[in-house]
Amino acid sequence: MLLAVLIANPEGNILVERFNGVPAEERLHWRSFLVKLGADNLKGIKNEELLVACHKSVYIVYTVLGDVSIYLVGKDNYDELALSEAIFVITSALKDVCGKPPTERLFLDKYGKICLCFDEIVWKGLLENTDKERIKRLIRLKAPTEF
Amino acid sequence: MALVVKKDDDRDEEGEYSPFHGLEKGAVLQEARVFNDPQLDPRRCSQVITKLLYLLNQGESFTKFEATDVFFAVTKLFQSKDLVLRRMVYLMIKELSPSADEVIIVTSSLMKDMNSKTDMYRANAIRVLCRITDGPLLTQIERYLKQAIVDKNPVVASAALVSGIHLLQTNPEIVKRWTNEVQEAVQSRAALVQFHALALLHKIRQNDRLAASKLVTSLTRGTVRSPLAQCLLIRYSSQVIREATVNNQTGDRPFYDYLESCLRHKAEMVIFEAARAITELNDVSSRELTPAITVIQLFLSSSKPVLRFAAVRTLNKVAMTRPLAVANCNIDMESLISDQNRSIATLAITTLLKTGNESSVDRLMKQITSFMSDIADEFKIVVVESIRSLCLKFPLKYRALMSFLSNILREEGGFEYKKAIVDSIVIVIRDIPDAKESGLLHLCEFIEDCEFTYLSTQILHFLGNEGPKTSDPSKYIRYIYNRVILENATVRASAVSTLAKIGAMVDSLKPRIFTLLRRCLYDSDDEVRDRATLYISTLEGDGTVVESDKDVKEFLFGSLDVPLVNLELSLKNYEPSEKPFDVNSVPKEVKSQQLAEKKAAGKRVTGLDAPPAPTSTIDTYEKLLSSIPEFSGFGKLFKSSAPVELTEAETEYAVNAVKHIYDRHVVVQYNCTNTIPEQLLENVSVIVDASEAEQFSEVGVKPLSSLPYNSPGQTFVAFEKREGVTSVGKFSNVLRFIVKEVDPSSEEVDDDGVEDEYQLEDLEVVAADYILKVGVSNFRNAWESMDPDTERVEEYGLGTRESLGEAVSVVMDLLGLQPCEGTEVIPNNARSHTCLLSGIYIGNVKVLVRLSFGIVGHKEVAMKLAVRSDDISVSDAIHEIVGSG
Repeated sequence: MLLAVLIANPEGNILVERFNGVPAEERLHWRSFLVKLGADNLKGIKNEELLVACHKSVYIVYTVLGDVSIYLVGKDNYDELALSEAIFVITSALKDVCGKPPTERLFLDKYGKICLCFDEIVWKGLLENTDKERIKRLIRLKAPTEF
Repeated sequence: MALVVKKDDDRDEEGEYSPFHGLEKGAVLQEARVFNDPQLDPRRCSQVITKLLYLLNQGESFTKFEATDVFFAVTKLFQSKDLVLRRMVYLMIKELSPSADEVIIVTSSLMKDMNSKTDMYRANAIRVLCRITDGPLLTQIERYLKQAIVDKNPVVASAALVSGIHLLQTNPEIVKRWTNEVQEAVQSRAALVQFHALALLHKIRQNDRLAASKLVTSLTRGTVRSPLAQCLLIRYSSQVIREATVNNQTGDRPFYDYLESCLRHKAEMVIFEAARAITELNDVSSRELTPAITVIQLFLSSSKPVLRFAAVRTLNKVAMTRPLAVANCNIDMESLISDQNRSIATLAITTLLKTGNESSVDRLMKQITSFMSDIADEFKIVVVESIRSLCLKFPLKYRALMSFLSNILREEGGFEYKKAIVDSIVIVIRDIPDAKESGLLHLCEFIEDCEFTYLSTQILHFLGNEGPKTSDPSKYIRYIYNRVILENATVRASAVSTLAKIGAMVDSLKPRIFTLLRRCLYDSDDEVRDRATLYISTLEGDGTVVESDKDVKEFLFGSLDVPLVNLELSLKNYEPSEKPFDVNSVPKEVKSQQLAEKKAAGKRVTGLDAPPAPTSTIDTYEKLLSSIPEFSGFGKLFKSSAPVELTEAETEYAVNAVKHIYDRHVVVQYNCTNTIPEQLLENVSVIVDASEAEQFSEVGVKPLSSLPYNSPGQTFVAFEKREGVTSVGKFSNVLRFIVKEVDPSSEEVDDDGVEDEYQLEDLEVVAADYILKVGVSNFRNAWESMDPDTERVEEYGLGTRESLGEAVSVVMDLLGLQPCEGTEVIPNNARSHTCLLSGIYIGNVKVLVRLSFGIVGHKEVAMKLAVRSDDISVSDAIHEIVGSG
């Protein structure tokens, strides 16, 4: 299960937060844990360079893209390799929607589209679509071209 | 110039100002009224939905009324033909998760979309419907979903399949009816459809081993189109392998060839998954393991941190059981110590600590020292724990490791980190006697500048127990008295107790201790003053507190002979009155004995705050047994076994038994729990039939008067046996009691009871019950210091065994001795192995055993057993145990 997708700005403010199968009372803990993890390790990291950690039986893969930091948390089937696959899809889709690694402002300008992208990539904790071209069409309700 | 202007424009456009700055829920809800406009403005409506999504993603929640309001308004947007808006509407409905009575409003629109000619409407409508639907509605749309699974458009098929995965949790019986369609989808040419179909099909069949095995067989022979699906297949096949048995004739494992072929796949994800699956196979042989380790080794130098992490994490796991198999990767792992990603570096270090040999310890320590300064505490703790294990594995290296621990103890760090170091030093001191003096001095230096009261008091307590046993206890006094001068009241009180302990044990220091204790009589804190007063009069032996020197030691070093929980309860119930609180009134019965034992068994290495489990458990038992008059004359308790379950899990009555061994007696303690709320058991006892244990004769029974629901209690049966003989035998047990009905609501008990019996499993007393597991830090020294004349050597054939490991564990269980120097771990497929064991035989006789195993021919195991002991008859007895086992 892909337990959480979280996107934050450089100050640690949450821009997008989606949890799956994480009890409500644990979400705040996860949020602050991830933001702290980012604050400790993401400084000076290149765009899309992946960082990885594990906490008990849970894996965390995170990175920066432009002004935003992206965190994925998974367990069981979603180990560090599956998460790196999912984060690759997310960063490609974000670059596609924003046209470049986004600033915070650009990210918020495209917020609606970005939410739709997430809806296509991860739905209720399962990886659904992995191809950015297809995602680009799906968020505009256009059928994919390649089947 | 133009360029400069352009840049400024950019900055204006992309300034810090957020488009959602100051967004308020109330205002957005007002704006949502545009959804009701007769002339819909799709662009505006999309913007409002985006704002609503932003609020939801920020953790904002809508009241029931607000959510209903927005939901009804959003449903109006189905009138618009605008594609972007429709897509937003689908998402918004999912986010709002309408309640069952509201869903009806939108069902018809979604059903219409689900049958639409536009594929994308179908896919999205399926996702939304499955998200908000309940059982009855699902039955109505089931037909469409089955069609969708085999839809030629992969987006529609995937939508239905993923919905199926989710619905399987809530409506499994419906989803299981889709098996044929899902099976067809597994053959789909669209990669993602195959991935989702495979996941769903396996979930449907996971409880049916045969079906799961067939699925894996057919797919490993067919075509799997995406790396993701391939990874799933690898996981499913390793599950099948785990449940299947190895072909005994050829030694081949089903699907191993498939896993091995995946090592040559083009996708890294698949290669890695296969390698990891191979390393996790049960009893994996070196031949099977080698190609996997080689592949993982390559990943260690990958440019992708995730692959490096995954590789070193897997090797770390392998190193726990097969350190030698990983040794080839040591050089690559050493270069990872400087990896920028600290998680990778820590894993590399801890793996190296497991795979390194005695000669590499010093070099490793040097590398780790430079690494420690730039990692976070949580990583440091992992390293400290690994170093602790290493120290116990190579006791001769304690100097280097202890000096490393003391160095890091002086550096900055939080409480958990410091506690881990202190715990490690304490464990090393306990296990390696040579390390005691230097270890205690390191702890003394640490408390000179320790900011954690808890750690200071724990160390002082430890110093009080261990300090007097050293060659020169006086050197610790300065450090201890400094605490009295410099620290807070809690630490001062601890220091006073420690001083008193040293005074009690070392007569030559008594006068100096008195002087110091007298100074504490004027302390500003009453607890410190009280302790000083008490200890002075105790040590002076004026008869007001205790009578004899033995009593003094008992008073200072003896632990509280009542369970703390019981004491706390009694103190709470005590009402202040003229009559002083009497500690003897506290019940000594250990209520949650069973639970405490289970916890103790699970936690092997513990530090200061929890002394080693066996000691504390045996202390508790000894106190418990000596408080029962019938058993108090049995002498000193030699050994108490771990609890043996005499009932299956989750039965009406749960009973386990602990065997207490004395020189001439064996007492069986039956821990009973009544799991039926409607019953109260009275006069509970165990009727033992000892016809298969002729060397024992029953001498006493202590029944349990009452056993209420969920409140464990004990009953005992005592047997006599001949002194110095390791009598063995089997007891048949029947639980006998009077059962009374209880009304669980009022807790009223029926007066009338019925006598009843409950059959328990048999309990065996075996030779290993007469042997205590006690390790030695340096086996060779201990062996050579024993009289060679007491040595008895004999060779045995152990017959055909699955592996050498199995033979070793059988003999170790039979003897019940402590394995030393990590020799209990046997590399898989080893052809020979030497196992070193030590312990104390009943009558306090030290025993050392050298077991040399070898495989002769095809899985025939031969063993040479050499024993040395303080008493030659015990050496013979050990051979008898093996001979008769």
